Amino acid sequence: MAAVVAQALVNGLLIGGIYALVSIGVTLIFGVVKIVNFAQGEFVMIGMYISYWLAARVGLDPVASLVVSMPVLFAVGVLLQRFLIRRVLGLGDMPQIFLTFALSLLLINLALLLFTADYRTVDTSYSESAIHIGPVYVGVARLIAFGLAMLLSGALEVFLRATDLGKAMRAAAQNRDVAMLMGVNPEHVFSMAVGLSLALAGAAGSLIMPFYSVYPGVGQVFVLLAFVAVVLGTMGNVRGALIASLMMGMAESLGIQFVGADSGLIVVFAVLLLTLAIRPSGLFGRQTR
Amino acid sequence: MAGSRGKSSPRRYTRRGFLTTAIRGAIATGALTAYGATTRNVAAAPTAVNIGALFPATGGFAQFGQDCFNAAKLAVQMVNDRGGIKSLGGAKLNLILSDVQSDTTVTRTETERLITSYKLSALLGSYASALTLIASEVAERHKVPLLTGSSSDQLNQGGRKYTFTPFARASQFAKAQLQMAKLISDKPKVAVVFENTAFGTSTSSGVREQAPGEGADIVMFEPYSAGFTDAGPLVNKVKASGANVLFAVSYLNDLVLIVRTMKQMGLNIPLNGGSGGFLHPDFYKDTGKDAEGLLGVAHWNHDTSADAKAVNAAYEKLYGKFIFEYAGGLVAQTFMIADALERAASPDPQKVRDALAALDVSKGFAAMGPGGKVKFDQTGKNIYGHPVGVQWQKGDLVSVFPKEDARAPIVKS
Amino acid sequence: MMRRLRPSAAMGLTVAALALVLLPQIVSNPFAVDIFIRVLLFAFIGVAWNLLGGYAKQLSLGHAAFFGLGAYTSTILLIRYGVSPWIGIVAGGVVAMLASLPIGALCFRLRGAYFAIATIATAQVLMLLFLKFRNFAWGAEGTTIPNLGNSPWMMQFDAKAAYYYIALVLLAIGLAITSWVERSWMGYYLVALGEDQDAAEAVGVNVPRIKRHIYLISAFLTGLAGTFYVQYIYFIDPNTVFNFNVSVEAALVSIVGGIGTLWGPVVGTVLLEPTSALVQSWLGGTHGGVQLTLYAVILMAVILWRPTGLLGVLTGAYERMVGAASGGTPATTSAVRKGAPLDG
Repeated sequence: MAAVVAQALVNGLLIGGIYALVSIGVTLIFGVVKIVNFAQGEFVMIGMYISYWLAARVGLDPVASLVVSMPVLFAVGVLLQRFLIRRVLGLGDMPQIFLTFALSLLLINLALLLFTADYRTVDTSYSESAIHIGPVYVGVARLIAFGLAMLLSGALEVFLRATDLGKAMRAAAQNRDVAMLMGVNPEHVFSMAVGLSLALAGAAGSLIMPFYSVYPGVGQVFVLLAFVAVVLGTMGNVRGALIASLMMGMAESLGIQFVGADSGLIVVFAVLLLTLAIRPSGLFGRQTR
Repeated sequence: MAGSRGKSSPRRYTRRGFLTTAIRGAIATGALTAYGATTRNVAAAPTAVNIGALFPATGGFAQFGQDCFNAAKLAVQMVNDRGGIKSLGGAKLNLILSDVQSDTTVTRTETERLITSYKLSALLGSYASALTLIASEVAERHKVPLLTGSSSDQLNQGGRKYTFTPFARASQFAKAQLQMAKLISDKPKVAVVFENTAFGTSTSSGVREQAPGEGADIVMFEPYSAGFTDAGPLVNKVKASGANVLFAVSYLNDLVLIVRTMKQMGLNIPLNGGSGGFLHPDFYKDTGKDAEGLLGVAHWNHDTSADAKAVNAAYEKLYGKFIFEYAGGLVAQTFMIADALERAASPDPQKVRDALAALDVSKGFAAMGPGGKVKFDQTGKNIYGHPVGVQWQKGDLVSVFPKEDARAPIVKS
Repeated sequence: MMRRLRPSAAMGLTVAALALVLLPQIVSNPFAVDIFIRVLLFAFIGVAWNLLGGYAKQLSLGHAAFFGLGAYTSTILLIRYGVSPWIGIVAGGVVAMLASLPIGALCFRLRGAYFAIATIATAQVLMLLFLKFRNFAWGAEGTTIPNLGNSPWMMQFDAKAAYYYIALVLLAIGLAITSWVERSWMGYYLVALGEDQDAAEAVGVNVPRIKRHIYLISAFLTGLAGTFYVQYIYFIDPNTVFNFNVSVEAALVSIVGGIGTLWGPVVGTVLLEPTSALVQSWLGGTHGGVQLTLYAVILMAVILWRPTGLLGVLTGAYERMVGAASGGTPATTSAVRKGAPLDG
């Protein structure tokens, strides 16, 4: 029994790391730009396709292709901010929500047009190997993904705390007007925030390619869970998103293990709705709006 | 109707008015004659008979729907190359395709559109049970016969008269799977996991009902949400259940993930991948060597008879992969329709329906399914229909069960 | 806030209504009638959504929850208890309405995008629950509506036109209710809370109560639509009636057409549905994703260019064509040109 629980927790933790990359991206955009990016999952999908095509054409290992997917998606993020998001800032919830929502729809269906609905997989030498820690099996590909995900999250934390730009971002997140008074250029900060957020999404995509298949709708699977983690971890709170994602991953895994394999999502949503009932602003307290 | 209604007063027979009237009369007569000619099909035979094919060429089932379209085109070509419908003067089959986009509303609309716009004699469709059920409802209400390989038992219920299912039903698959499990192990302890939509639920419920009768123990019975990110928890549960054989009813993506995860977690029990995505050539493409030895059940396979092999060869030449279960079954169904048209000597859907109800074939392409014979009972079921157990061997899907359909021995791992 | 109907507008409306009633008698092509039915149905769902999402500005992306509850209620009553769908449709609406109470209690604690996510979650949870309930609700497999031939008392008709008229009546009911709400005291408070919830509360508007009430109405109407839909396509399963696409469509038509306006959802549906049907039949076979790409592009264009929806554009164009002599006050005309919702 203990072994079963341990395995469930390990599985959940590992996938939680991937959810973390996605949810941190969402919460970063929300915190700084104050907009919910419904299309975040699609950028994961784009990262996956980039890695897929690099692996198929050039034989580049998906994890190594991070060096391509991250910068590409960073650039996409900057463009996204410059040309689309900027136009709906300050217009209220409705245009903001539906703009990114429409973007999500657009990206999924463009992918469908370009790549068809076929599932594509990448086979690496380590796609199926696992290491044993006691009775628990840890998939190598997942472990690598988790490790790098944590590394990237850590790097982001350092960036936010220690660099000027990072601090500017946090300032803008806390209080945009005062930040502007202090000389922070909101445009620049927003572009960086969106760029970083999408780069993380792209990284998530590359990291999961060794053990997951890509198809146009794959982003949807991750984004809902990521959103739950964002809300749970308090919107705008990067560390909160990370912790909540890991928790979500484990909750889902335990739910599948002990409630029912079709109940993973129900458990996750139940946790979400319960939290919202008790603490609407998430586990980590009041966030600034 | 040849009356004059010109701008001038009706009573003034000017030259212009006369001409107008005459021209209108000529047109009207000509139209009537033409109309008469087309509807009077007693003497004049039609040059083409319209058959509709509704499949999901886009959306979630796109991979399968595309193959079904290809198979339908091949089948119609084959029928036409063999002289078409001789009792209708060599009339050719005219295939009307429609993509139902893996969507229920679209299926509803498109089925009706095809039936009303094209005077269909019969319909083929639609791969996924939910879509086929809707197509069946529309076909029943419009009284046009539908042939389908979909296994949902609901298709034979509710007093349907126009729905024909020449192949094995969901409940039969379950029995076959259990019997195959007994070939591998004497006292099978079966774990059943299935994706929680129509396809998975219908196939797996049969397993649970029939297990005791077949001497198998169900140690785990678990629906799961398709499209999961991680098969780990599921595989973990299977391990914990002590099962010595796993039945998985899944679509392609999940199955690949399950197989890989089983390898990762060291779960080396035989897997019966059911039908659906498991039977598609892409499954082998995506899973590779891990697919070797995996078992499944199909309602049609490409090696059970010489006719099936011939069809497969033709398909492989065109598309570079073997013809998968549902698509192959389609070809047989097209020939069943051709057979019915021959006997009905009319494209009228009611007559075709009656001819199908009286169908009794045991050779030819119409009969190339497992069992080699087709005859329908009043609920539209084929009394000889039964599934064929298959196994991935050296990259090909080989029929291994029951004895009369086996083309190669089962490989035990 | 009374919308004064000018004699020309009243006559225009009557002519349009007459045309709509006669339409299925004139057009016999079933494919066309099917498009009309879909336009009417989705306009109706949009109108129902608009009450909550447009006027009260609570952007729900989970209306499929009510759609599905309505559909399942009537189907269960029909198949398990032999109850006519005419009773079932109302029962479905009531069930949806009652469900909106706990759902609202939970979700209304949140604002903006939080609220939207919570509504998505509730619809998803309902879908998952219904996927599990095999015993009384057929689970994942769903069920077909039994073929009863032509039974008007059981809401099954051979004549397509009958479905058209039902949908027309539903839409008329939805519009009538919206119009009534617009003109009532609730309408004032709705617009106030939609503009600025905190300010409204500060001046004494009982915001939770208003939200609750409007949610009840919105849910009820959406539930009715659910029953009609399954009676029309002869089939129900959780994936179809609790589908996220239903929630999206409900919101989409209002946003594109004119959020928070009476005719907005109608305009939006008239633009989107036939376009999608036509695109589907031209390109649907070979190119998957074209229709939704088009939807997405239209939506983005509307958001970026005219976030209040196209109704403002159309009305503005109309006013300009008819000229100042038509009687709109300068303020109204210019407000219309800016695309603001008409509420005066």
